[in-house]
Amino acid sequence: MNLRISALDYVQGVKNGNVSAEDFVASTLERISDIDERLHAFLSVNDDAVDQARSIDKKVKSGDKVGACFGMPISIKDNICIKNSKTTCASKMLENFIAPYDATVITKLRNQDAVFVGKVNLDEFAMGLSTEFSAFGPSKNPWNTEYVPGGSSGGSAVSVSAFECIASLGSDTGGSVRNPASFCSTVGYKPTYGLISRYGLISYANSIEQIGPLTRTVKDAAFMLNIIAGLDENDNTTVDSKNTDYLSGIDSGIEGKRIGIIKEMIGEGIDSRVLSATKDAISKLESLGAICEEVSLDMVKYSVAAYYTITATEAGSNLARYDNIRYGYDFTVEGYEFNSYISKARRNFGPEVKRRMMIGGFVPSAGHAGKYFLKALKVKSKLTKEVNEAFKRFDLLISPTVPILPFRIGEKIDDPISLFLVDINTVTANLTGKPAISVPFAIANGLPIGIQLMADSMNDKLLLQAAFALESTITLPEVPT
Amino acid sequence: MVTQEEIEHVSKLMKIEIDDHREYVDKVKKMIGYFDVLDSAGVESEEISMPEIQISSLREDRYIPFSDKLIEKLNHYKGTYVRAPKMSS
Repeated sequence: MNLRISALDYVQGVKNGNVSAEDFVASTLERISDIDERLHAFLSVNDDAVDQARSIDKKVKSGDKVGACFGMPISIKDNICIKNSKTTCASKMLENFIAPYDATVITKLRNQDAVFVGKVNLDEFAMGLSTEFSAFGPSKNPWNTEYVPGGSSGGSAVSVSAFECIASLGSDTGGSVRNPASFCSTVGYKPTYGLISRYGLISYANSIEQIGPLTRTVKDAAFMLNIIAGLDENDNTTVDSKNTDYLSGIDSGIEGKRIGIIKEMIGEGIDSRVLSATKDAISKLESLGAICEEVSLDMVKYSVAAYYTITATEAGSNLARYDNIRYGYDFTVEGYEFNSYISKARRNFGPEVKRRMMIGGFVPSAGHAGKYFLKALKVKSKLTKEVNEAFKRFDLLISPTVPILPFRIGEKIDDPISLFLVDINTVTANLTGKPAISVPFAIANGLPIGIQLMADSMNDKLLLQAAFALESTITLPEVPT
Repeated sequence: MVTQEEIEHVSKLMKIEIDDHREYVDKVKKMIGYFDVLDSAGVESEEISMPEIQISSLREDRYIPFSDKLIEKLNHYKGTYVRAPKMSS
């Protein structure tokens, strides 16, 4: 069974009767069983997946209506709720938490006959960019297992890249879909804020986070977006997708489109190989008729500090619910005073979550809010103005997704500032609510490099068209696993 | 510059107990220290923009029944109440 196919090829194959959903899903589970001990993408596997796929084959054979996914095996980041399944957020705090309901994205995919093969690894509560902060151990980059796969949706990227599923859902708060996509050579898509419902996504920083697909191809990302985008009465921040078909016209090309090269994202600290790949991507887009020019976004220099200030503040509030009474593990209340009980329970948080909660208590507190939190919100406002101005001149913005190559496991874990700076190119899209995509573009020293394209809010269709055009200019090797 | 005492105070407020005190304090200090870069952003006069949603666009404020009895899923549910630790006097 050839598992190395795109979502659209899989769907076509099952529709035509050339591929059996049951065989494909069974082979996928075999592959997970064969290689995941080494890669550690999965935290749990769905034992009913093959039965579910078999029932889809039956529907196909009997001519019943079948959903658009035709039993496609999808992995789900373990901070997105699937009813009656464990949803751990890669945290000891939620090690045994069984979700009582489906996230809206899960409902939508289930209605289209997707098969969820398992829940995948992340940095604990999505706080990190290497998957090293998972309480259950890091995932490994399938291109070189001594290297991080990126994060926080590292398990999602590994599972797609290593053919352990066809597509995955991750969440992106500051680049958590695009960063691992770049490090593992998959497509990673963060939509316009509100385009995909967050209902059932365990909250970290609500004002900027979004669920997004990781896929093999840009067309697959558009296919997934067609299914999961749109209004949701359970999430008041959702926006109307107006039933946009993101796949149709994806090959429209980018002739005449104006693309701004973000100066602050190709300067100091960029790896020369990443810079060279970025220049190559720009030349290729120009050869397709795009007009590329440099643009300066001054606030990018402050964006990482603003991002961590805002997200820590929201995390400090969101994680207050983990008091071992509403959520937590089995730990008796007998003999404890209220505050000491909660403090003891919270020992089950990992070190990065504790650090961010401490920061989240400090930066918005009386006496410090003016210096940190309010200033961060002002940077966010000014950055949004700068980006909106840029989109008056340009249709799209371009940068490398991450300024450096994937790094070795353990290399940066003790240096929080050097980890912060890995986010420099991705946080702008989150702080401004703009859609952005990482497209696999090059391999250097056996490690992937992704290129990021960004568009104005609700221009997701244009963004996917440009990403498809860029993807069409290159052929990359497959993962060596 | 943030002090060790301030960090210890906030960790108490956030109900976080830490063993390896020094390591935590040093890292948190370093992280907060990095945020000082915000001082040079020159945004003092900037207005903070917030997204606005019309009340009419919000979901109707009504009770939505849930199929499962969620309270029964709590670890310390005792049939008619949830056992919590005692409050200090």
